[in-house]
Order: sequence, then structure tokens, then C-alpha cells
Amino acid sequence: MAYLAALVAGVGFFVTSVVWLGVWPARVLEEQARAFGPTAALALTASEQRGREIYAREGCGYCHTQQVRFTAADEARFGAPTLAWESRRDVPHMLGTRRIGPDLSRTSGTRSEDWHLVHLYNPRLVVSQSVMPGYPWLFAGSADQPKQSARDVVAYLESLGRARLLAASGTNEVVVVNPASPRRSGELPTLPPDPNPASRWTDAKGARGAELYTLHCASCHGPEMRGDGPGARGLMPAPTSLADRFYRSDRVLEALWHGVPGTAMPAWRDMPLADLAALVSHVQQPTALLREDRIGEMPAPDAAERGARVYADNCAQCHGPTGAGDGSAASSLPRPPTNFRLQQMSFYGVVGTLEQGIAGSMMASWGSRLSRADMAAVAHHIRGFFDEADRRSNR
Amino acid sequence: MHVDTGLVRAHGLAALVTLLVSVTFGLIISIQLWWPDLGAGVPALSWGRLRYAHTQGIMLGWLANAFFAFLYHAVPRLTGSSVTSPRLGRWLFGIWNLAVMVPGWALVLAGVSQPLEWAEFPLVIDAFVAIGIVMALIQFVPPFFARGLESLYVSSWYVIGALVFTMLAYPMGNIVPEFVPGAAGAAFSGLWIHDAVGLFVTPLALAILYFVIPAVTGKPIYSHFLSMLGFWLLFFLYPLNGTHHYVFSVIPMSAQFTAIAASALLGITVILVVANLLLSLHGAGAFPKDLGLRFVVMSTIFYLIVSVQGSLQAFMSVNQVVHFTDWVIGHSHLAMLGFATFAAAGGLVHAWQRTPGVRFNARAVGRAYWFLFAGVLLMVTDLTIVGLVQAQHWQSGAPWIDSVVASRHAWIIRSATGILVLGGFLDLLQGLLTGPRNAEVHP
Repeated sequence: MAYLAALVAGVGFFVTSVVWLGVWPARVLEEQARAFGPTAALALTASEQRGREIYAREGCGYCHTQQVRFTAADEARFGAPTLAWESRRDVPHMLGTRRIGPDLSRTSGTRSEDWHLVHLYNPRLVVSQSVMPGYPWLFAGSADQPKQSARDVVAYLESLGRARLLAASGTNEVVVVNPASPRRSGELPTLPPDPNPASRWTDAKGARGAELYTLHCASCHGPEMRGDGPGARGLMPAPTSLADRFYRSDRVLEALWHGVPGTAMPAWRDMPLADLAALVSHVQQPTALLREDRIGEMPAPDAAERGARVYADNCAQCHGPTGAGDGSAASSLPRPPTNFRLQQMSFYGVVGTLEQGIAGSMMASWGSRLSRADMAAVAHHIRGFFDEADRRSNR
Repeated sequence: MHVDTGLVRAHGLAALVTLLVSVTFGLIISIQLWWPDLGAGVPALSWGRLRYAHTQGIMLGWLANAFFAFLYHAVPRLTGSSVTSPRLGRWLFGIWNLAVMVPGWALVLAGVSQPLEWAEFPLVIDAFVAIGIVMALIQFVPPFFARGLESLYVSSWYVIGALVFTMLAYPMGNIVPEFVPGAAGAAFSGLWIHDAVGLFVTPLALAILYFVIPAVTGKPIYSHFLSMLGFWLLFFLYPLNGTHHYVFSVIPMSAQFTAIAASALLGITVILVVANLLLSLHGAGAFPKDLGLRFVVMSTIFYLIVSVQGSLQAFMSVNQVVHFTDWVIGHSHLAMLGFATFAAAGGLVHAWQRTPGVRFNARAVGRAYWFLFAGVLLMVTDLTIVGLVQAQHWQSGAPWIDSVVASRHAWIIRSATGILVLGGFLDLLQGLLTGPRNAEVHP
């Protein structure tokens, strides 16, 4: 009798724990989900569901959590904490208890599909120091040949946090939900001033900039900044060749801070401001030399007048009448048109872009529509926007 | 009374074989953290799949088999009667190793699994585990009832408790979250994550500690009152700990607070239990001559450290910082590789030395002890330190990859400690396969 009582008490302990810490919380969570969740949250598509199954079987959840905790550090890095309704349809759950990589519950909108594919094929192609395994068996031989399974995984990743973003759209919460997502515009931080502009590429800050570039940027933009890093193949549009452009500081900072929507360039808002300043300075280094060297500019008698005309007829709709990237069609483009007042390409860089266009963007090839002389003239005109803006800001 | 020494040997060897395989999986994934291309793009060698195979192998392959070997040795001695059936024993051995371990690993490596911690084998394997637990219950528990529970020694209570509770907890952790979504599913997972350790591994390890200490010293346990107090407190508190794996989550705060309070009380209880065990040594020292006891004593000390650490980790101020880092991986290795493995190895060595007809190489086992002791200590220290480094990076708001880059050297050292551990286990295998043979019929 005594031991029957003991056994019942023992089993009672277990039942107590399950009711107290399992059944009852489940009921509370369901009530919360009903009270705060959207009435018609989207279910996963068939592709996203298949992606979720691959994510589950490959153990992704053992390095990447899917819960933003109610802690200051989590909220600052990953955004608003995960609510009950967000994981309401996740069976089995993948909240996770370990982070080697970052939390993924707010992935939606932070990276382009091609970035995800290259990263999935071999993470070190785009994140040079990553320790994530590659998943080449989801591809047919290279990063730009994904099988359906790889597309499914990326579709699933892109679904993470989407419902929360949609629920927040139209409210101020959007920014809070996903602090890492690229944005088209917004306040830029003020970078610390350069203490010694003359030696800015040779002092400690210059070294830091080079180190950061190698760590974070070279995988796509290439060791020589020619846009030919190991990750470049498979990215569309291709990473910008920084070597034949000169950027004003605020243009580089804008790309770093907001990311470049419509491209694989993510936002780097999590970097300390001093590091951002070092990177901005580093990116300007080679092209500053190039800017002095105006070799190859072909003067033509009517260059100024012809360039202005060609520009107004063909370019201004997107790039804007003053080259500020604010033409009438600009807002409808997935990737903002280049603002020529903030960056200057080499002469041959402009002509090359005109000839070939930029694959993966709305910039078409003009090689068959403009004559060589027209291209040379408009290149001259486009380069002039920067010089004009430069003169104004220096005045 | 009959001791089925054939099953002691069979489970003992199965334990060591599955152990070596599981540790090899663990070593590979530890190397992949600093040499990520080691898997060479082979799906079965990728980090995630090997990670699943590693922990399932340690718990269900190594620890369960070692516990079964010990039970075949200990249950007849505790009850004065034989286990239920040798035939059932052979079926249990076959199902556990040939229907659970081998196909479980094969399926996980082939990509058939469930992403639930300590429950990665797929549902079809879970069914065989559940059958196996019921068989173990039928095999080992009736002898206790035959004797009458009034005069049961504390080890017996732990054996009964472990098997009954595991039978209840296993489906809750392995099957329920396949049907309960999201954070609610995580609540059940959290319970199992802790119950796997607290209701399966810990009670059986404690049964070994309580058994081996008086068996070797020849003196009674310090206090039977403390033994039973500890037993009931542990079985009350362990199941209430699970939610501390999800502190600061959306799971209701009252559930989180309950788990945190239970974690604190659990730490205090473990201090009582360990005090009782250490006082029962009657001056045998921290490194006794008897090899089984030597493992057992260190297991007791690891148990104290890991439990107090566990209580500490549950507090919100600490949890906020160290959760998700390698600190916790250090903690789980201190529990499973320190406390549980030293108990299982102690119980296995103790039983082996008293099993007629097997070889025993005391030198190799002594060497195993030191390799494992050094390996665990260095690994846990290394992971604890790098966990704090990761936490510091995350708190600082630096880019995520900085925390990965900062971990690299510690991860390399951790793999080196893993080699020490693997070496220790190879010595243990050598210790049980070589050396002079025990007398055919033990006096």
C-alpha cells in the first residue's frame, strides 16, 4: 500500500510538471495568439514548406534560433521580440537553444535571393570567415545553378518574419520589426571626423579600413575592388566595381547603412561608426587617384551641348534632370537608379556601362542605340554632375 | 539468484562501440567549426546531421547500454532475485541496438529526422525506443516488487523512478512536439530536454553512485534519511526545470519563474545529495585505488559542480548573457561527459571487474581515467571561457561574424580536448578487452 502511494505520488510529480509547464502554457499561448495575431495569416507555400523540411533535416536550427528574446541585446540586433502567434503554425517548432550563426526569425527582406543561393552553396563565397557548412548537393555544380531544393530553402528563409512585417506595415513598427533590412532612404548617422585627412590611408584608420574590407567586402567586391570576388559569380546584378568609381563619403555611407535594395548588398548598420568611417575612407582610396587622372576623356567640339541633349532624351527619366537619381520613374524601380552627384565613374567606366548595361538591374544596354560620339558626350555630361555638386558643397 | 553475465558483457561492449562512434561524430563536428569544408559537401558528413547523431548516440547508445549492463549486474544483487527473463533480455538488447541505434543513425545521416533536441531520431525509431523502455521496465522492476518496497535501498528507488518516468517522458518529448506547434511545442520540448537528463540519465547515474560507493568501501551510506529526502526532492524538482531552457521567451512568465525557482531549489537539493555521497566515502579519498570507485567519486564531484552551475544559469541575469553561447555547451558536456559518463564508466568498470570470464586491464582503465579527467576539465573550461567571449561580442553590438572569428582559437583547443577524450575511451575499450581474464566463476 505504501509503495502504491509512493508510485502514485511519483507519477503525480510528472503529471504536475506536464500540466503546469506544458499544457497550461500551451493554452495561454493559444489565447495570446488568438488575441494578438492577424486574423488571416498566410500559410507557407508548398515550396516554403519543402524548404522548411530541408532546414529541419539539415539541423539548421542547431546554430540558428528562430526566437528573438525579450532582452535588450536581442531587440537591438534582431528587432521586436517573437510573439506567440508568429510560430503558431510551426510544427515541429524550431525555436532553438544555441546560436553559432545569427537568429533567423526576421530574415525576410534582409538579403536578396541570389545572395542566399550563393551563401547556401558555399557560405565563404560571400562571408569570408563564416563557419557554416556549404550545401552543394542542393545545386547542380555551381552557385548559379540551384536545384529546386535550394530555391525551396531560400523561399522558406524569405518567409521567416514576413507575417510580422506584414502585420506591422503601415505602422511605425516596421523599422523595429526588422532592423537589419535594407532601406531606400532615411537618416544617416554622422561619422566621426577624420583627424588627419592627409594620412588617412596610411595611418591606423587606413589599416583598419583595409582589414575590414578584406573581412567583410572582398568576398563580393574583390580584393582589388573590381567587383570580381569569389561570391560575384551568381550575384545579379554583379557587385559594383569600386575601383573605377569615385564616391562621396555620404554615398558610401548610404550604401553601407541602408544596403542597396534590389541587389545583394546588405545593410551594415551593426558596424561601429568608427569602423564605418574607416571603410568609407578605404573605399575612396584607389578611385581618388583615378579621379586625378583624367586620361582618355575625348574632347569634342559640341560635347557639352550634345551630352546634355542625349542625357535629357534617354537618361533623365530615371536618373533625374540633375543626375540625382530622382527621375520620374525612379520610385517604381526595385533598385534606385545611380545618383551621379554622389559618385563619379571613370570615363571608360561610364562608356562601358552604356555599352553593356547592368545585368540584373533596369539599366539597359545602349550600345545599339547610341553612337560612340553620343556615348562619349553623355559620359562627359554625367561625370560633370559630380564635379558640379562637388563645387557647390565646397563653396 | 542468477546474474546474466552474458548480457552485462553484451551491453557493456555495445556501450563502448556506440560511445566511440558517437564521440567520433562529436569530434568531427567540433573540427568543422574551424574547418567548415571538412565534410567535403557529402550530405551525411555535414554538421547538422552529425550533430543529431552525436547526442542521440551518447544518450541512447553509450549511456543507456552502460546503464543496462550495470542493471544486469546490480538488480539481482539489490533484490536477491533474477531479472524477469533472459529471453526478454536478448530481445531488449537486439531492439535497442539493431532497431534503434543502427537504423536511427542511418536515417538521421540520410536526412530522416526531427529537429527536436535530444529527440532527433525520427518517429519510427521513437516507437522502438518506447518499446525498449517498456521492455526494460518489465525486465528490471518486478524483482524489486518481489522483494517488497518497504526495505528497498535508495539505488532501487532510483532505478524504478528512472524507468517509470522515462516511459512517461519519452513520448512527451519525442512525439508531442510533432503535433503541438510553435512556442507551445517548445514548452514540451523544454520539459523533455531536462527530463532526458533529469529523469533518465541522472537517476540511473545516481543509482550507480549509491551502489558502488558502499559496495567498494564496505560501509553503509552516511544517511538513509538524506538519501530518501534527496530522491523525493529530485523527482519532484527535476520535471519542473524544463522551461528554464526558454527564459525570456514568449512562454508565460509564471512558467518561466516556476522553472527558475525549481532550478535554484534543485541546486540546493543536489548539495544535500552530494554531501551524503561524499560523507559515505569514509575517507576513501578523491582518487581511490578501486577504479570503479575512482570514476564514481569524480562523477559525484562533477554532479555537484554542474548542478550548481545549472541553477546559476537559470537566473535571469546570468541567462540573459550566457544563453545561446558555448557556455551552455560546456555545461551540457560537464553533465553528460563529466557526471553521467563518469558514473556510467564507474558502474561498467565495477560490474566488469566482478563479471567472471572477462578480461580486465587495470593499467589501461587507469589511463582512461586520467585522459577523460583532463579532457573534460579542459573542454569545459575552454567552452566556458569562449562562451563568455561570445556573450561579450553579442552584447557589444559588433557584427555577428566577429563573435565567430573570436571563437576560432578556442574551438581548435576544444577539438584537441576532444582527442584526449577519444583517447580515454579507446583506453577504456582496451581496458575491458585486454589484460588477465577474471576467474570463470567468481568467488
